[in-house]
Amino acid sequence: MTTRAEFLGRVRAEMAKTDGLFPAAPSPRPGNPREAAETVRRQLAERWPQALDRFRVEFERVAGVFHRVPSLVELPALLARVAAEKGAREVVGWEARAMGWNLSAALTPYGLTVHPAPAGDGDEDRRRHREDAARAPLGVTGVDWALAETGTLILASGPGRPRSTSLLPDTHVAVFGPAHLVESLEQVGLLLEALHADGGEAIRGGMINFITGPSRTADIELTLTRGVHGPKEVHAVFVDALDGPA
Amino acid sequence: MASDVKASIMITCLGDLFFPEVGVAMVTVLRRLGVAVDFPGGQTCCGMPLYNSGYHEEAARVAERTVRLFAAAEHVVVPSGSCAWMVKTEYPGLLKKDPALKAAAESLAARTRELSQFIVEVLGVTRVESDFSGSVTYHDSCHLLRGLGESRAPRTLLRNIAGVKLLELPGADECCGFGGSFSVRLPEVSTAILDKKLGNVEETGAECLAACDAGCLMQMGGGLSRRASRVRPLHLAQILAGGRP
Amino acid sequence: MSELLRTPFPERAGAALKDAFLQQALTIATTKFIDMRRAAFEGFPQGDALRDRARGIKEATLQRLDHYLGQLADNVERLGGHVHWAGGAEEAREIVLRLCRDRGVKMAVKSKSMATEEIDLNEALEAAGVTPIETDLGEYIIQLAHEKPSHIIAPAIHKTKGQVAELFSRALDGNFAADPEVLTAVARKVLRQKFLQADMGITGANFAVADTGTLVLVTNEGNGRMVTSLPRIHVAVMGMEKVIPSMTDLMVFLAILARSATGQKLSSYTTLVRGPRRLGELEGPEELHLILMDNGRVRQVAGPLREALYCLRCGACLNVCPVYRQIGGHAYGYTYPGPIGILLTAMLKGDRSVKELAHASSLCGACKDVCPVRIDIPRMLVELREGLDRGRIAPWSERMVFRAARRGMQSPALFRLGARLGRVLQRPFLRAGRLRRLPFFFGKWTATRDLPPVAARTFSERWRELEKP
Repeated sequence: MTTRAEFLGRVRAEMAKTDGLFPAAPSPRPGNPREAAETVRRQLAERWPQALDRFRVEFERVAGVFHRVPSLVELPALLARVAAEKGAREVVGWEARAMGWNLSAALTPYGLTVHPAPAGDGDEDRRRHREDAARAPLGVTGVDWALAETGTLILASGPGRPRSTSLLPDTHVAVFGPAHLVESLEQVGLLLEALHADGGEAIRGGMINFITGPSRTADIELTLTRGVHGPKEVHAVFVDALDGPA
Repeated sequence: MASDVKASIMITCLGDLFFPEVGVAMVTVLRRLGVAVDFPGGQTCCGMPLYNSGYHEEAARVAERTVRLFAAAEHVVVPSGSCAWMVKTEYPGLLKKDPALKAAAESLAARTRELSQFIVEVLGVTRVESDFSGSVTYHDSCHLLRGLGESRAPRTLLRNIAGVKLLELPGADECCGFGGSFSVRLPEVSTAILDKKLGNVEETGAECLAACDAGCLMQMGGGLSRRASRVRPLHLAQILAGGRP
Repeated sequence: MSELLRTPFPERAGAALKDAFLQQALTIATTKFIDMRRAAFEGFPQGDALRDRARGIKEATLQRLDHYLGQLADNVERLGGHVHWAGGAEEAREIVLRLCRDRGVKMAVKSKSMATEEIDLNEALEAAGVTPIETDLGEYIIQLAHEKPSHIIAPAIHKTKGQVAELFSRALDGNFAADPEVLTAVARKVLRQKFLQADMGITGANFAVADTGTLVLVTNEGNGRMVTSLPRIHVAVMGMEKVIPSMTDLMVFLAILARSATGQKLSSYTTLVRGPRRLGELEGPEELHLILMDNGRVRQVAGPLREALYCLRCGACLNVCPVYRQIGGHAYGYTYPGPIGILLTAMLKGDRSVKELAHASSLCGACKDVCPVRIDIPRMLVELREGLDRGRIAPWSERMVFRAARRGMQSPALFRLGARLGRVLQRPFLRAGRLRRLPFFFGKWTATRDLPPVAARTFSERWRELEKP
């Protein structure tokens, strides 16, 4: 079997034979990513209404369903309505600490069965939650970022925020607030640079998903269909008075 | 003043052998615009067929001949996008082993232009008086369009002829299927591509099909003739010259 | 595929031209892709500058390739992943098979990966008693049909919905309507079970960020997320040239990749895999294995096909290629079709493998025009032609014509002689001023097109009268 040294040795041998095709450099990177990210966050804090407008346009362009409520007080009724429209009696969701509000407390009064992400990560928890997520027609999450340029929801996985919540149910609802809005892909790059500057420990999960609309394919005669493997529908609920990440 | 402009004609192999009338029309048009025209003898080919088929050593020899032939020319005008492209973009690379030849090739490249580009850029003319009358649709030859970045000059010149009604060709930027030796190495594929092009041409309802490349005109003209089409394939020069071609 | 290759390419192309449904499917699909890509870039003025940047990043990465590969491996391992180094296809397959053996893998779900197609991984898995299930809808369809993909991003565009319905009905013992909605729902249901039961998820990777050890998957269906989150092992097979330096660089590529491929601003899912599941995380694979593959790529770092290493596998060049649009992907006969496919085949299988394919191009340049990283495909095709054993391909009459043409181009005397000879020889074939049927090699033209005759007087011969204004 080829070792790392052998492989890289071969690469180096080839590199030595050429100067390359033209002078080139990778993208310039922020000298102090955390500071740059802070600056961007401060600017975004002022410009969020415009970013929200743009987000809505782009999100709807990719067939997302957009909602807006003033505060967490109005949120449960909205979610219950969406669940009713989808005929969903069972819901899976992120843990309260991951979202900043409690899904069980919000929806149980409406007679819905809520399975929040379990606190532990044992085999039994995992097995049971997988069954719940595979069965529930509705999954509710928060977001890390809402990217206005493309109408994209960006979700990192981690304790209390399973990957399946936004993947297995037919309908995914993401709840976010002003502090989550980001304007451009370029800014996302900067924020990711900052988060990884310390070795990436700030993100406690093994996956980050950029979600731009529902699951789709055009593999059969280039006819567009939705909900191949992932959700058939994605909803985004903007809560004006939702506190964002610290 | 236009009469101070001297241009040497690079007739191209296909132009010389199969479309001399295009060369004649070019001379007519250039003289009408006050250009003093000459024609260095001993021309053969720009070498592109050799180059494209991988005979680069031989292509370099042909390039060297051509560079010497046009060494004294102030401007070189070519009725073909592909040949102009060959001279302008490929000659310096082909001759890079000899610095003097490479420099000569670069000089030739700078002095060489396809016909429509010469008229518009060097002469500054966008309106050529011509008695041509009829509806025309224009095909963008690949090397003029993508190689030399030119899609406007031919259309401008056509549009500005009073008697011309210019109809835009759907898929004008799609290849006609000539590709030099491609047309005979893979004749069925070449013909399928051609059929698509001619379908678009006939759909426009135009009386004439205009192009700036002899290869394209051979391919498209050959197809139009085979299907006894009423559409006349014409080189831009012939439309600009007017008269009875 | 090897039986296919015994038929000469012109015959394979000819068969494709006669396939009426294929012709229709190709026209519709490629036209749609072209329109969507054009619309996406028209509304995106930064696009051109980003393409230049993307090209620069790819070139810069190659200039420090050992550094970035080393950095990538270090970071993947730091995140708890395993890195394997595969020289060739067989080694890459063997690494996957060994993992299957050692970990008791019986069934593997696959997300679309051209790299795994390239190494014929599925056949090797099946032979070893592991069931591979393709989960990308297009790949699932062709897996059931025992075919190879016919397009880099839309593997089954050559199939009608009727054919798909029939395939599904037979394979799944049902009776399904020829309706894409219905068929998609069937695939969702069937494959959902596979995702939940599989022991292993196998993917490729669109990018791998060296600075952070992140693997990036760009998908639309959700299967890329499924196979990297549900099974206990994730294996990613990746051509080594997919490595990029940083997250900042990644955004440049994300901005142009989906736009080039399907006209979307971003695909439905961009998945960043940061190692296996973390401590405290409920879901995700216990193990992540990244297989970095050479398979002919490293040699091109200093080779004539170096630029082809920039390829993002977007498929844009296929959609605009006049040849691909007429013959589709299967006629090319190899894993990667279309313009870039010819170069990649030469890269992976050697120059001789593209003896015929190197000429399957009119050199129109449309591919270079749309390539997000501006790969000069025509130039490399011409260079391939230069390197190939030209003399032995063509029949003797063709070689005679080319030899004569070469001589004629180098000598004006021979050129003039050739003209006179042509005028004489063509006389018996002239019909109403046209040449309609010529013998030998020239018959290849006149089978379908007329030819103008050599002029009674060439322009050079007429110049004497034209000389005086």
